[in-house]
Amino acid sequence: MTFNSNDVLAALLVASLLLAPYALAQDAGVQTPEHVTGERAYPFETKDPRVEDGPPIELPDSVAHKLALLTPEEISFLESDDARRYAGSPEDTVEALEKRSPEEVKQWVNAMQEIFSAYRYVEGRDLPNIPFNTGSPEFNAWKMKRPRSMDPAREPGAVPLGRYDGYGGPPTFGNYPLALTMEDLVAAEVDVAILGAPLNMGSGWRDSGEKATTELRRFSRPLRGMDQYALVNASRELNIVDYGDVAVDNDSTERSMQHVRDIVREIASTGAIPMIVGGDHSLEYPNVAALADVYGKENVSVIHFDSHYDAWWGDEPHLINHGYPVYRLINEGHVRGADYIQVGLRSSGLTATAFKWMREIGMRYHNMAEVEARGWDAVIERVVAEASEEGRKIHISFDIDVLDPAFTVATGTPVPGGINMREAITIVRRLCAETNVVGFDLVELHPALDPTYRTTLNSAHIIKACLVGLAMNRKGLTAVHYLDPLSSEHALDDYYGDQQEYLDATKAEEEARQEAEE
Amino acid sequence: MIFPDMRIRFALFTFVATIVVAPFESALAEWSIPDELQAAASALNDEQTTFITSGDALKFVPERQLEHELATRNADNLRRFVDDLMSLAAQMGYDRERDMGAAPLNLNATDFNYTGMPTPAPLREFKREPGPFSVHRYMYPKSGVPTFGGAKVAIWPEDLVAGNVDVAIIGVPSNMSSGRRDALHGPFAMRAMNTIATPDIQSLLNPLEALSVVDYGNLAIDNMSVERTVGHVTDMVAETAGTGAIPMIVGGDTSMLYPGVKGIAQAHGSGSFGLLHFSAHPDAERFADHTVSDRQALFLLLDQEFVAGDETIQVGLRGPAVDVDTLQWLRDKGVRYHTMAEIQKRGYENVLKRVLREVDKGPDAFFVSIDVSAIDPGDMVAAGRATANGLSLEEVTRAIRQVCAAKEIVGFEITDLAPMLDVSAMSVMHANAVLNACLNGIAVRKSGLDPDYVHPLALDHGQR
Repeated sequence: MTFNSNDVLAALLVASLLLAPYALAQDAGVQTPEHVTGERAYPFETKDPRVEDGPPIELPDSVAHKLALLTPEEISFLESDDARRYAGSPEDTVEALEKRSPEEVKQWVNAMQEIFSAYRYVEGRDLPNIPFNTGSPEFNAWKMKRPRSMDPAREPGAVPLGRYDGYGGPPTFGNYPLALTMEDLVAAEVDVAILGAPLNMGSGWRDSGEKATTELRRFSRPLRGMDQYALVNASRELNIVDYGDVAVDNDSTERSMQHVRDIVREIASTGAIPMIVGGDHSLEYPNVAALADVYGKENVSVIHFDSHYDAWWGDEPHLINHGYPVYRLINEGHVRGADYIQVGLRSSGLTATAFKWMREIGMRYHNMAEVEARGWDAVIERVVAEASEEGRKIHISFDIDVLDPAFTVATGTPVPGGINMREAITIVRRLCAETNVVGFDLVELHPALDPTYRTTLNSAHIIKACLVGLAMNRKGLTAVHYLDPLSSEHALDDYYGDQQEYLDATKAEEEARQEAEE
Repeated sequence: MIFPDMRIRFALFTFVATIVVAPFESALAEWSIPDELQAAASALNDEQTTFITSGDALKFVPERQLEHELATRNADNLRRFVDDLMSLAAQMGYDRERDMGAAPLNLNATDFNYTGMPTPAPLREFKREPGPFSVHRYMYPKSGVPTFGGAKVAIWPEDLVAGNVDVAIIGVPSNMSSGRRDALHGPFAMRAMNTIATPDIQSLLNPLEALSVVDYGNLAIDNMSVERTVGHVTDMVAETAGTGAIPMIVGGDTSMLYPGVKGIAQAHGSGSFGLLHFSAHPDAERFADHTVSDRQALFLLLDQEFVAGDETIQVGLRGPAVDVDTLQWLRDKGVRYHTMAEIQKRGYENVLKRVLREVDKGPDAFFVSIDVSAIDPGDMVAAGRATANGLSLEEVTRAIRQVCAAKEIVGFEITDLAPMLDVSAMSVMHANAVLNACLNGIAVRKSGLDPDYVHPLALDHGQR
């Protein structure tokens, strides 16, 4: 095929006129209050309101003589909640006092005060932030975009990389064509843009960087093809693209957040559904914040599949890590606590305070304890019903550690006792089909722990389940737990008692056919 | 009292204050437009021409490509192309109204300084006499709680002093490698495979008998920020060295080379020792957007003069970070670098001789360090920044044993072992062998033996 460069240029000109509004939106940039510039402090509340100081303890008179050398301040510190972390319960404190001399008590209390003060931020003593080298002439090199003019002109759209009907090229997610800009998404009328986000800052094992997004591309064959449950082929129903990887700074999660949010917003603002493949779970924060940028604050609901609740806050000095995204999203007002649905929690660490807090803010939690008590089928119906409530726009944040490590051992912080693949595929397909899904992410894949590729393949199948669900939604197959009647039942008899109508109809058809033949 | 001064604990402050935002100027030369492309270039306006001829465009496109673009683009296209390059150049630097200059922190965090606060003495409930202690029930244990080389455990400096400890092996589980990340588990993996403290085949000395060696535990790390980690690691290394023990540091990623060497410099004086560093990577990034990372470790040490350039020896350089500018910078700093190109051309034996002569002529004391990437992936696949065509394990251990036997060692560090990638456990075994090579060398020196001494029974069976 010959390629007339004038045609291409004309097409580019037309496209650029059509896309001017998008281009402007992009150029103007979106300055959000969360986007800290310069050396400014975090502009939101940072205290954890869930932590409340307990009342001071009362020390019995029997140990009064032990306190002889303490100042009133030292005594009130010893009695305060602050000292309990070191001195223990009132009983432990009394016991500790009894075995110490007044001199030793003084040293003991002073040591507690010292360590207490050392733990807290003190202005002038501690750095209030983590400075970057702003003198670097390459400060922004990590996220600078390659100008389109550096490559040969092409029309905007989804670019096939293979020679054979799109196949045979470098691996993309599901071998879908590549898109790199908003213009590409608009021109190709993209429904779903799959974005790699190689953020590698999780705790536990770390290998969710570029290896994770690369391995998922290599093993993402499941992202194509006919789904047997619904008899729907997502690649036929939806325009799906690989949107490349978003640039991250793997020396600073905080610094990566704004750029990830920009790129996810770019996708969502074209009307496409961003599907983010991580990467550690810090990504939930920019993903959902970007959706809130597009659909409005408190207009997006999140279904958080995870063995961890990821709403930690206020203990460590960092404002984001893979245990904090849920709290930070609520804290900044992107999502209401009542619009959060948690599924699969079972990790250690949570105290009654956490569950009480979730109840107070209206967060729906469905822990594995509920599954143990009620059975998975009941829980899945409850989750889908909650997610189907009128007016919800749903983001699904799927941490693969919600699955049992038998299925996803290659993850940073695996927790046994999780759901299985059959359960996961079903709920993800149903949510993507039956509810109004506007975003999806799958995070915490760590390929180095995956010598058999099981976790990577299972992750691909989770993504596929959502793609199939979205395709079903597009086709109007949104009935509660829709399964194709043909693939879900041989219907040669009425074994389950619900096929009589079908059997009668086929019988009538057969009789009619025979009559016609006679 | 472990920390006589609060300031030490928060030396991060000092660290940032002393960062030198030094020669961050573009080193690119001017570029002249070839005669045959002058006509094409005449389409550019003055500003664009200035940009092209300043050489700044070569940051983004290689010269060959730039010539190709000039030769093949029409005037409009060319102008748009150069405008785009200029826009890239304008975006590169920091803008305080646009860019995050510092990552904000939660100043209300209950555990703001959760790393780097050892329990003060009055709060240690468990009482014992100071000194290294065994974690085993048996005289000759085969297994149990894993420690480096099966050595005794020490927790506090007073344990080191009381035990007159020669060598304190310290785990520093930082996990911020620029390559594959799992250095966090390096210290655990090296403890779990009990092959450190294998007797030296030359001298037949058992290092655990010739030396007082302890497992000094792991240091507290903030694995969300190298910047917040270096202060405590520096302090603890300095404190350890201050007791007279030699810190042998087990990383952790190579960003910890910076506080490792800096801590020794604080204890013994900047410039009082040389640095022999085995690595594929020069770690001399000069223009980085962060203040500390593995890619900058050597640059920071030289730039802040904790070690002198002409007392620094690098062996094994190759791979993606070695370029003309970096080698030129190292040369200008006086660094004795030995790339794999030199080793291939001259032969390892000759290069080793040269290295040993440089060590011999260098200062009396040395800090020996190795990023395990120095070793060929065939012998060390579980390196965070593994790079093909490196040194063999035998070549590295021989050199390290020799130097540790010949010189006073003020510190040793091994970094960036990523056990997650070590399915066969070979890399951990080899990492232990590297550490043991230096331990054996120190034992030989401590025993007053010549570095080249070979026990007659080890040299020859003696049968006619």
